[in-house]
Amino acid sequence: MTDRYAMYIDTSKCMACRGCQVACKQWNDLQGYVPGVRETVNTGTYENPLKLDPQTWTRIKFREYDDGERFQWLFLKEGCMHCAEAVCVDVCPTKALKHGPHGIVTYERELCNGCGYCGQFCPFQVPQLEVLNRLTGEAKSSKCVFCQDRTTNGLKPACVKTCPASALDWGDRDAMLDKAKARAELLKTEWGFPKANVYGEAQLGGLGRIYVLTAPPSAYDLPETPSYPATATLWQKILQPVGHLAFGAAIVASITAFFLARRNVHMEEVE
Amino acid sequence: MSVRLKDSKSVFQIRWIPKYTTLERFLHWMHTASFIPLALTGIVLFSPWLQSVAQSEGGSTVRLVHRVAAIFFGGVPILYAVLQPRRLVLHVREFLKFSKYDLLWLKAAVPYYLLGRHSAMPPQPRFNTGERLNAVVMVVGTITFGITGLAMWFGRGDMPQTLYQIMVIFHDLAFIVTVSMFMIHFYLAVIHPLMWQSLVSMRYGVVSESYAREHHAMWYFGDKRAKEMWEKHKAEEEEHQPAEQEG
Repeated sequence: MTDRYAMYIDTSKCMACRGCQVACKQWNDLQGYVPGVRETVNTGTYENPLKLDPQTWTRIKFREYDDGERFQWLFLKEGCMHCAEAVCVDVCPTKALKHGPHGIVTYERELCNGCGYCGQFCPFQVPQLEVLNRLTGEAKSSKCVFCQDRTTNGLKPACVKTCPASALDWGDRDAMLDKAKARAELLKTEWGFPKANVYGEAQLGGLGRIYVLTAPPSAYDLPETPSYPATATLWQKILQPVGHLAFGAAIVASITAFFLARRNVHMEEVE
Repeated sequence: MSVRLKDSKSVFQIRWIPKYTTLERFLHWMHTASFIPLALTGIVLFSPWLQSVAQSEGGSTVRLVHRVAAIFFGGVPILYAVLQPRRLVLHVREFLKFSKYDLLWLKAAVPYYLLGRHSAMPPQPRFNTGERLNAVVMVVGTITFGITGLAMWFGRGDMPQTLYQIMVIFHDLAFIVTVSMFMIHFYLAVIHPLMWQSLVSMRYGVVSESYAREHHAMWYFGDKRAKEMWEKHKAEEEEHQPAEQEG
């Protein structure tokens, strides 16, 4: 179809080794364990860190799911979904976030001014703001860019390359979708996962991550039907044009009034 | 104040009537000096045309200016409330008092301000309808800016996403309404010839007797007398009109 690429993520094969987390940090030069700055804290779960952060662009989310018939320990590789209808791209006032090659939502750190709109409007709450100073608002956003320096040079993203379980793959989106559907069918018929499903086909114009799930999306805390925030549409498509129109109208009205008043108002009549 | 023109025997006597306190004038200019930079830095994130200004370090500087100006902007009502609370309450009450003369003012605004028909202007209290509309919009706008601005400044990440988005929307709404209002206010107060004394009053705190009589008759003559004069004036006008048509 197009030159759109996607990441295939088979949660049924993932064993939560978190090699992807490490490979991501290594390739993208992100902080791991830094004594005194980033320490590993034991919170009673294997999940670490507990959420995405400016130095962690991908991570494995651990969820427990019991539907009454069987118990599953679910592992989900989290990260930017690279939506076709990416709200972050639309609300970004600096165009640090853009639609790039292969359908990647690219990020240019140098352009970012740290307003934080991207993370506040993302339906998956992915972009993470590194706040350097809360008072002045000095900050930088960050998120997964599908290793665009690798992928635009014919390589696979670092996480895909490192995955020892072959749970991850990278390639033409249609091919990844076919692969995911076949895998889900197999999980349903052969492997005893009646609820196996594919996530990411149509959401927000189609996601850049195609998940094979063994439980309903809600079990992974994934929004069943993520939607483009109505507030973003209201802001971008209505308030912005209305604002420009109002300012324009106020200026034009003042200028017209100026000339009308100059012609009609005679100051000699004023006491 | 009396003025004698060169080579003339006549003397102009101008009586000046106090309208604003020194603090009110100071706060008004503090409001202006913070509102303009706030609007100019605010439009950088609002308008896609100014994208290049919003980018990287420039964008950070713009935000810093916005936040510093916001402190002064928020300081205006706080200082007023602390230093002259009775005047503040008095003013807010005056702002919210609307009557049928406000409808008449709205009807008269175009003939008066654009066509220069002086007789069209109905009597007005110390603040005319336009001034009061501007004041109400500014008060509501300031409250909205205060709540949404502080929430976006200090609450990002600590409040639900949807709430933050609503804050952005209301900040923008307040921005559009107050900036449009400001443009009209600027035109009328600074540029319009009939309103030249408004700038004088914000500089020296006084207006002349004749200005007060024409623009704020209810303040100058008192409510009752001003209304009586208006009714009489209206009746006279009606009497004259048919006669003119016949003639």
